[in-house]
Amino acid sequence: MKIAVAGKGGSGKTTTCAVLARTLARSGQTTLALDCDSNPNLGISLGIGEDATEHLISVRDAVDAGDEEHALTADDLVERFGVDAPDGVRLAVVSAIQNPEPGCPCCGISPEQLLGQLARPGRVVVADFEAGLGTVMRLDANPIDVVLVVVEPTAKSLEAGRRVAESVQKTGVGRVVVAANRMRDDEDGARVRTAFPGLEVVPVPDDPAIMDAERRGVAPLDAAPNAPGVRALVDLADQLLSRR
Amino acid sequence: MRVAFVGKGGAGKSSLAGTFARVLAATGQNVLAVDSDPLPGMAFSLGVKQTDAGLPDEAVEEYEDEGRRRYRLRAGLTGKGVAEQYAVHGPDGVHFIQLGKARGPRWDNARQHFAYQRVLDDLPDDGWSVVGDLPGGTRQPFLTWGRFAETFLVVVEPTSASLLTGRRLARLAGTATAPRVMAVANKVRERHDAERVAEGTGLGLLGLVPLDPMLDEADRLGRAVLDHDPAGATATAVRLLVDVLRTETEPV
Repeated sequence: MKIAVAGKGGSGKTTTCAVLARTLARSGQTTLALDCDSNPNLGISLGIGEDATEHLISVRDAVDAGDEEHALTADDLVERFGVDAPDGVRLAVVSAIQNPEPGCPCCGISPEQLLGQLARPGRVVVADFEAGLGTVMRLDANPIDVVLVVVEPTAKSLEAGRRVAESVQKTGVGRVVVAANRMRDDEDGARVRTAFPGLEVVPVPDDPAIMDAERRGVAPLDAAPNAPGVRALVDLADQLLSRR
Repeated sequence: MRVAFVGKGGAGKSSLAGTFARVLAATGQNVLAVDSDPLPGMAFSLGVKQTDAGLPDEAVEEYEDEGRRRYRLRAGLTGKGVAEQYAVHGPDGVHFIQLGKARGPRWDNARQHFAYQRVLDDLPDDGWSVVGDLPGGTRQPFLTWGRFAETFLVVVEPTSASLLTGRRLARLAGTATAPRVMAVANKVRERHDAERVAEGTGLGLLGLVPLDPMLDEADRLGRAVLDHDPAGATATAVRLLVDVLRTETEPV
């Protein structure tokens, strides 16, 4: 199963992706989390801490600089350059580098191609996409099970999300589900519904516990497992799994 | 002055850059606000109705160079000409151009993209200020989108991910021999937050902007915070940023 998480920067992609990955792992799935962002922060939200997150980037930078041998296959990349995160999630940073070797499975192919190579029966791959439209627009040759469009009920975020959803729908590469973060009231609900007519929208309540976790650099799932915002994301993961 | 706002997605770059551009324009300066993100962000913060303010096709011409298709500004059209003829006129007299609309799938942005780059290389000089809203993240903003800037402001909120991004940007700035790079602490709740930003990024702090529920409300309504709450916390803090930067960049 392949899940891509997309949307505007700061709308909550990484947090959503992390709770999703760990929840799927907790329910017994072999789960791989791919950080496709050129500014990778998924490690922090998964709960491995700032230093380990920085280490993953330094390894990627070393490959870029020619100081580290390239991985031979996509699986080798996950094996050698990935780390174990809580609940058994395997995390790898696969963002584009400055000096890729064309065709190299660890750096010469796009994150969305890599996603295709790493997916297999019995494994869920959850990919935290680069903010904006770039990766989503290149998805057309690489079908995916679910594209989770993460938005918050602000004009900017909804406009970005709307374009992402439109792009995915046009190519028909996968089912679009909208995760609406930081929802406060009926007006927010109306804003999101208006932006995504006919699409499945999962509201996630605005939750200070998530912001507190982000300020502290810890996983929301560890810091506040029962906070309403976190619960909504856990439910979303369960729902994606059961409706597969 | 030529200033570019960088930082993690969601840190508040567009909100601060858009407000900054208008505040500067309101002092009577010619200000060109440039948004390097194909998705509209700065337009909302400027209060510009048109969210796809890319260059029109007529401003761009195609040519061949060693068999490759390339684009440049129409013959005789300068960066200043673009600012005067094609920029969208926003509130407070601000001029605005955007990289151009991004619509998928397989949207071809080559024409607008290269034209926009040419504008960045030929920005109006005499008497114009430029305020840039750069793409989020760390993709070499100092060498590419921000190459026009004399000052980079790294917008950082006191979250772990935003601080990490600020630190990476500070490191990249060091290797790119970028001009002056300073931090702006955004969404500050307590005094310690600003210190955390300065310490976490290792950058000098130009100023701080408090966490502002009115900005959040303006964002939800799709309004510029300067129109929604003209005398509020964000507007006041950005006015101070403009003053401090003007004092530092302009000889008395």
